[in-house]
Amino acid sequence: MTNIAEARIRREFKEVVKSDEVAACNIKVELVNDTFNELRGEIAGPPDTPYAGGQFHLEIKIPETYPFNPPIVKFLTKIWHPNISSVTGAICLDILKDQWAAAMTLRTVLLSLQALLAAAEPDDPQDAVVAQQYKENHSIFEKTARHWTAVYAGGPKSYPDLDSKILSLKTMGFEEHQARAALSSKGWDLERATEYLIN
Amino acid sequence: MGNCLKSPNTDDISLLRGSDAGPEVSSEQSANMGPPPPYQESIPIYHPSPNVSRPANQLTEEEQIKIAQRLGLINHLPTGVFDGTSKKAKECCICMEEFLLGDMLRFLPCMHTYHKDCIDDWLMRSFICPSCLEPVDAALLTTYETS
Repeated sequence: MTNIAEARIRREFKEVVKSDEVAACNIKVELVNDTFNELRGEIAGPPDTPYAGGQFHLEIKIPETYPFNPPIVKFLTKIWHPNISSVTGAICLDILKDQWAAAMTLRTVLLSLQALLAAAEPDDPQDAVVAQQYKENHSIFEKTARHWTAVYAGGPKSYPDLDSKILSLKTMGFEEHQARAALSSKGWDLERATEYLIN
Repeated sequence: MGNCLKSPNTDDISLLRGSDAGPEVSSEQSANMGPPPPYQESIPIYHPSPNVSRPANQLTEEEQIKIAQRLGLINHLPTGVFDGTSKKAKECCICMEEFLLGDMLRFLPCMHTYHKDCIDDWLMRSFICPSCLEPVDAALLTTYETS
């Protein structure tokens, strides 16, 4: 890693650690190793969204050419959101691609991701299935996103009706996450989800 | 065309290397060294667009023109040495280091100031101010029109 990248991450790390947002438990950054090329981020789900009450973990990789190129960020916590892959955690956000600017920082990236959770852009999707549900069946989308937040990010809301559908697929021999993903993408229609899993 | 893009100091480096290997090498050592390494000139890497890195000799003609124009435009942007008198510009927000007396600076038309090396590296990838996202060429043209 070139000196400029490491020196900047050192400074930014301090900046995030003493920022107001950390005091308010909104964002957090941790080092993974002492070479400063990989970090773990954490953002709180914004209030009044299906992600409220959840803590979302991020993998942050710093390229050698940082800050001339953006950090490579993906969600480690599974999440149901039109601009984040429900399978891989890959993120579709302009500032992590062609709209990156060298004056942006880890702090602005984490805050932008938090803003993305509060304002999805379904017309520029990363996960087409989620985006379609967001646009065509918004109440199911919100319920599913809340359920995923509760299961994977420690959110508060539980839905016994959804849990029982997952349980019935589990008794058929399907793995829990596989069952949840299939039901989520099929609008919690047990029959269609079963069909999808069998094929 | 390709020759315009070679960095001006590559020749100096090769001369230095040549003088190092000069008279001190004994005949015994040179016998073990085998044939001299093939002539290598380090080829500068350019970034025709932000996520593309290519050696100068693999650029398309279009990219070469773009880069040559870019180099020309960058050279039109004023530079200076940090003398501590400016109250506004205190740190370079690319490397996040404070300006030190004697640092070479470059001033953008939007009035943002950076280390010359830092901003030149950025401008070769993206011709916008990293702080305010103002396109630098648009601002350059306006300054020409008003002056």
